Amino acid sequence: MLMIRHSIGSRLLCQTNIYDIEKKDDLWQISLPIDEETASKVLEFQDELNIFDAKEKEKTWYYSSDAQVKLQPNENKLVILADHKTVYPVK
Amino acid sequence: MLIQVYPAGSRYTVKNEWLESNLSFSFGEYYDTSNIRFGPLRVFNDDTVQAGRGFGIHPHREAEIVSIVLKGQLKHEDNLGNSGIINYGNIQRISAGTGVLHSEFNASNDEEVQFLQLWFSPNEKQLTPSYEDISYDVEQLENNLLPVISHTSSEGVAGIHQDLTLYLSKLDGKKTLNFQQEAGRRIYVFTIEGEISINGDTVLKSQDAARITDIHEITIQGNQNSFFLLIDLPGGEF
Repeated sequence: MLMIRHSIGSRLLCQTNIYDIEKKDDLWQISLPIDEETASKVLEFQDELNIFDAKEKEKTWYYSSDAQVKLQPNENKLVILADHKTVYPVK
Repeated sequence: MLIQVYPAGSRYTVKNEWLESNLSFSFGEYYDTSNIRFGPLRVFNDDTVQAGRGFGIHPHREAEIVSIVLKGQLKHEDNLGNSGIINYGNIQRISAGTGVLHSEFNASNDEEVQFLQLWFSPNEKQLTPSYEDISYDVEQLENNLLPVISHTSSEGVAGIHQDLTLYLSKLDGKKTLNFQQEAGRRIYVFTIEGEISINGDTVLKSQDAARITDIHEITIQGNQNSFFLLIDLPGGEF
């Protein structure tokens, strides 16, 4: 499951099971289908987003330090280019 | 308004079976566009955590995080290799910078822990994460503004990546203290317990706060024996 949260207090902005994470050189491209209302909420906080790929026993934390978050409106797709990744266990 | 008072009751409260959190600024589910920050001060949470409970491992970035324990014991662990328990008389500062993972738990199995957690915007982005905890001499709080966090660290004063100084003080009833800062800066005052007056006519009861701009010299009087916090903050846009 992918969750996009605000970094100040971890408010959940978006959650989905349909997403793709692809390594691109030193970055990770995270893409997901998104509706207009949710996209607007995510883009409002684009400088302060934490993205979590949650598995049963671990979470992977991504963020984009320079707010590389783009909406592709024709495809209803959100694309985040993350430059930070940390994996940690979940008890 | 030069001195804007925020009564304790105006704070947003999050309460569940293990946590009561009183939020002075937008945080988590509480989001108010008119109450995001006061200068670099972005978060001021007054948290009480039940015995043995706490916040599991979670990340932070781009924040200077200060924890001030008022009662009980707070256990901290992080992925930088730091772990320990802080009590009343200790201050913890985490510079989250490019990213830190940590957990915070009540270290006691029979007593609650109450602590203030403050987040400030750092004066520089992409800092290397770091951690510090210090002990201060609680006897020096008596009728004195004791610096415990500052841009320049020293013995008993934790260093922070922002142009600010945080003072704690215990003021006896009827005693006064004066505070002066450079023009253009801001002052934040929070009454931890008791009741104080600022410049004679602004009263702060227990857990009330004041956000002060354009006044750079204030007199604080204890209306009763009081414990309060004062932060000397930079001016300008954040």
